[in-house]
Amino acid sequence: MSRFFRAGESDSDETDSDFSEDISQSESEDHSDSDSDDSSDDDDMPKKGRLFGGPLEDSDSDDDTVRVVRSAKDKRFEEIEQAVTLMANGQKINDWVSVQNEFDRANKALQKSAGIIAQTGVPKFYITAVADLEKAIQTALDKEKSASKKMNASNAKALNSMKQKVKKNNRLYEKEIQEYEKDPENYDVEEEVVEVKPKAKKTKKVVESESEDEDEDEAVDDGFTPVGAGGKTVEYTQDNLFKKLREVADARGKKNTNREEQVRILEKLLLIASSPYQKIRVLLSLISAQFDFATGISGYMSIPLWKSADKYLNALLTILEAHQDYAVMENVPEEDESDKDRAPEKGRTLFIQGSLVAFVDRLDDEFTKSLQNIDPHTTDYVDRLKDEVGLYTVIVRSNAYFTRLQMVDAVSRTTMRRLEHLYFKPDVVIMAVEAATAGLLPASVAKPSQDSSSLIHDLCVYLYKNASSLLRTRAMLCHIYHHALHNRFFVARDMLLMSHLQETIHQADITTQILHNRTMVQLGLCAFREGRIKEAQACLQDISGTGRVKELLAQGLSLQRYGAATPEQEKLERQRQLPFHMHINLELLECAYLTCSMLLEIPNLASAGANPENRKRVISKPFRRMLDYNSRQVFTGPPENTRDHIMGAAKALASGEWQKSIELINAIKIWELMPENEKIKEMLGRKIQEEGLRTYLFTNASYYSSVGLEQLAKMFDLPLASVISIVSKMVWNEELSASIDQVSNVVVLHHVEPSKVQSLALAFADKAAGFVEGNEKLLELKTPQQGERPKKGPGGAKDQASGKQQQQRTMGPRGGRGGRNQFNNGLGNSVRGGRK
Amino acid sequence: MPANKELSAALDIEGTAPIHSVQLDAMVVLKIVKHCRESVPTTVTGQLMGLDVNGVLEVTHSFPMPKNQDSEDFEGSQYQLQMMHCLREVNVDDNSVGWYQSTNMGNFMNQSLIDHQFEFQQALSKSVLIIHDVARSSMGNLNLRALRLTPAFMKLYKEKKFTSEALAKAKLTFSNIFEELPITIRNTALLSALLYELETSDETLEVSTSHLNTYKNNTPAKSSVLTPSFDMLDLSMDPFVAKNLENLMDTIDDHTQEQGNYAYWQRSVERENKKKAAHILNRKTENARRAQAGQAPLPNEDVDALFKLPAEPSRLDHLLISGQIDNYCKQINEFAGPTLGKLFAVGELQK
Repeated sequence: MSRFFRAGESDSDETDSDFSEDISQSESEDHSDSDSDDSSDDDDMPKKGRLFGGPLEDSDSDDDTVRVVRSAKDKRFEEIEQAVTLMANGQKINDWVSVQNEFDRANKALQKSAGIIAQTGVPKFYITAVADLEKAIQTALDKEKSASKKMNASNAKALNSMKQKVKKNNRLYEKEIQEYEKDPENYDVEEEVVEVKPKAKKTKKVVESESEDEDEDEAVDDGFTPVGAGGKTVEYTQDNLFKKLREVADARGKKNTNREEQVRILEKLLLIASSPYQKIRVLLSLISAQFDFATGISGYMSIPLWKSADKYLNALLTILEAHQDYAVMENVPEEDESDKDRAPEKGRTLFIQGSLVAFVDRLDDEFTKSLQNIDPHTTDYVDRLKDEVGLYTVIVRSNAYFTRLQMVDAVSRTTMRRLEHLYFKPDVVIMAVEAATAGLLPASVAKPSQDSSSLIHDLCVYLYKNASSLLRTRAMLCHIYHHALHNRFFVARDMLLMSHLQETIHQADITTQILHNRTMVQLGLCAFREGRIKEAQACLQDISGTGRVKELLAQGLSLQRYGAATPEQEKLERQRQLPFHMHINLELLECAYLTCSMLLEIPNLASAGANPENRKRVISKPFRRMLDYNSRQVFTGPPENTRDHIMGAAKALASGEWQKSIELINAIKIWELMPENEKIKEMLGRKIQEEGLRTYLFTNASYYSSVGLEQLAKMFDLPLASVISIVSKMVWNEELSASIDQVSNVVVLHHVEPSKVQSLALAFADKAAGFVEGNEKLLELKTPQQGERPKKGPGGAKDQASGKQQQQRTMGPRGGRGGRNQFNNGLGNSVRGGRK
Repeated sequence: MPANKELSAALDIEGTAPIHSVQLDAMVVLKIVKHCRESVPTTVTGQLMGLDVNGVLEVTHSFPMPKNQDSEDFEGSQYQLQMMHCLREVNVDDNSVGWYQSTNMGNFMNQSLIDHQFEFQQALSKSVLIIHDVARSSMGNLNLRALRLTPAFMKLYKEKKFTSEALAKAKLTFSNIFEELPITIRNTALLSALLYELETSDETLEVSTSHLNTYKNNTPAKSSVLTPSFDMLDLSMDPFVAKNLENLMDTIDDHTQEQGNYAYWQRSVERENKKKAAHILNRKTENARRAQAGQAPLPNEDVDALFKLPAEPSRLDHLLISGQIDNYCKQINEFAGPTLGKLFAVGELQK
């Protein structure tokens, strides 16, 4: 298109539009990377556009009249061109049979015109076409491999044979294709110059309008594309704006609608639109058109597109803020089709149909999706993360807007979104984000808050008051998470207990369950930081004890042990994954969990002694397993990873070498990720001393008749008072049969062994209890079945029974549902376990 | 009255009158006790000879079976026949009316015993099983029990059908596998006379009865011959309770295993039922579709053939284990009452 200007326009214009073309080209290249479907139309679009002048069919007739006078060469080439176009169409709709036919036709025509080709060389559009075709086939094959739904047999066959043919064919034109690939934009340009020249006159009008546009708004420059070359189609004026808008809206969602084209048209329209009403309408369509690009579950919006959507959404909000008498609402009757520009009457608000909150949701979702898909260890991820401020701004802004309009539901939703962007962040980050947002927004919209906790509190309180129960639950969890993050263990714990969330959480949807799991883990870590080992262990047990930490926290796909997951299930799970920056460090989590387990389990083991019945009382199964494994090894080398360190520390603690234990624990590197790790290490050291004392007493009590308290204090480097308190506690809890002689400051140990009958009676009681429990389980299994037993009941009962089972069945096999149920079960168990 | 009784006994030619009690001759009892006590702790068995008279099974003779029965089954029955033949030769009762078995702490409820008794009762409908508990007898009281399988159990056992349903129908629980018959011990007139004589013995009699005395000293015969057993006053209760508890634990373990089997079965039934229901549903929708298309519906009969429910595991083991547990519990109960009394008595004495 740049060449048009060479015919009539000045030089300055040419550079401008050249520039714009480059950008649009590179942009379309971007799309092709992300979406294989687009790749085919992107790549042949510019070519088609340049040759025929425009995307609309009527422009073809113009071309034909021009071509009548052409030479034999043109005629032949035209045939090839036609075939190429049809081929491209076939690619787009994945119809490989027709692609194959057209490919054969093009090759035949090519052979016929061998004489001409000998003079002029192979036509370049053919080269581009076959090069693109090869790529398209490759992507189609790739997609075919991963797709869950296979294409039908004949199609697949055609695709495979095409692959062979194209490979063979392309070998002939290797050089040309290489040339093309080197510079795909400019490759076929020179040739077109000749052909397109006669049409230059027609484009004049467009050029005028374009130059007008450029005056209006320089910023939208990258929106310019060579679309307008067709002629009359590009006459966008104020008058036909609504008509065009409707055309676009009608075409939306239909097959063969070129989405990119639509976006371009809308962008044009936006430039023309002058009144707020027009702008709002165009922007609404434009944003939704942009969101239409991202399709499928795993695909995500390309970043430039996302950014432009973000920009337009901001623009829309700006307009709405500036003109407070316009309001975009969801439940407003459809506007009449009279393409009139409407303006609000004095003192009243004009309602326009549209859903801003959906846009915000979508924008946020797309952001999350892109983060899920970008490798978190690259700079891309960090760059992408920087966009969060913008997104957050939009959310805050729309929130303010909804608040003004008193749309409670939308306000709740955006508040929730806002909260979800904040709750897991440390104070500094929250304040930075808030400050940045305040900087970006007009003062009327954003009020920067001084304190992150009060901000979170305000947001949550709003949600508690106004939102639906699901959002309330989520808000509560976020609030607890935030408290836990700030070491307010008791506040967080009380909130968790008061809300009775744990009883119902296994009925909630999976994302909420994940949030709950995250909260529990964070609460556990908080308790750990506070030195509440028992609480920490209890909180972490549900998650860390299962061995499915990754899955439960949605921080990575768990290894499917039975390979039971279908591709759909896996896809769903992939979709649920949290972006990397929200992750809780799993190694730190494991480290904290194991340390807690060690501190509880070692004295427990010591108190159980050699009695096998008592040894069965397990606090932490994973820890026991690891310890067993570790002690089975003939030779243990120096500790390398976190686990080795903890196992080593556990062994040292069990044998009373508390100094060594402390050394090993302090050598763990991952503690450095904890805030104030020195304090935590100190706390752990102290705990190890205490537990070491307890372990010592448990193991050695039977060998002494009395132990001096001072001696104990010296041995474990503890103050006498705390030794007394620990021993008293043990005596009180009946863990140790002893008494303290305060006069001579010794612990007098009593040796009482249960008689044989007593111990037998105890063992028998245990056994009987276990048996009764088993019986009850059996009965439970049996009771629901009774109603359904089809053998006994008459016909009616039979039907009923099978009906009941039918319900179960319909729920069963559906892939995602099944997966969810499984997941629920897992969580349900863990929750139940936690309540005990 | 005796004439009347004799008459009815004579009239009862077919032997239809059910047995309501067992009468053991003193000699039989002593033989059983001797045999059982000698071979502790192994379990021994023997044959009972006698006749049923008017609902009373009179056992007049018994002989032990050789111990190494397990070497070959054939040998045992051969021995039994030969023995009975010999008894007939010397004019002793040779009518087999049952068998006896020794046991330890009442753990006799097992499959082989049931098998054996079933065979007996099949062949001789009036045969009984005498159980002699050596361990418990050694604590003071002679422990003999006469047991018969109940008719309900016999019927089920014949059909080998121990499903929950059949059990419920026959109203069979662990407590009515066996019916227990009262035992009376009969002394011959001569023996009674001797005993009376011993009881009222004085110095003059001492010479004649001194051979019965185990102690060759000056203690009066009265106290030496019919000394009351002081075993009853034994205060060591631990071994008995401990033993019982151990046994109980073993049986509970067995029961838990049974429980596991049953649960497994239940789960598999449920699975199969689900599959079946799914199939029926499929067939239904298929039929609905076919009805719309005007085709004949597919038959529904083959469903049961397609999905076979797994057979319920036999409940016999469960039954026996329950019975065994019941036995142990009763024993402990029986033991606990008198022991408590003893302990209190001793406590009073020590004051």
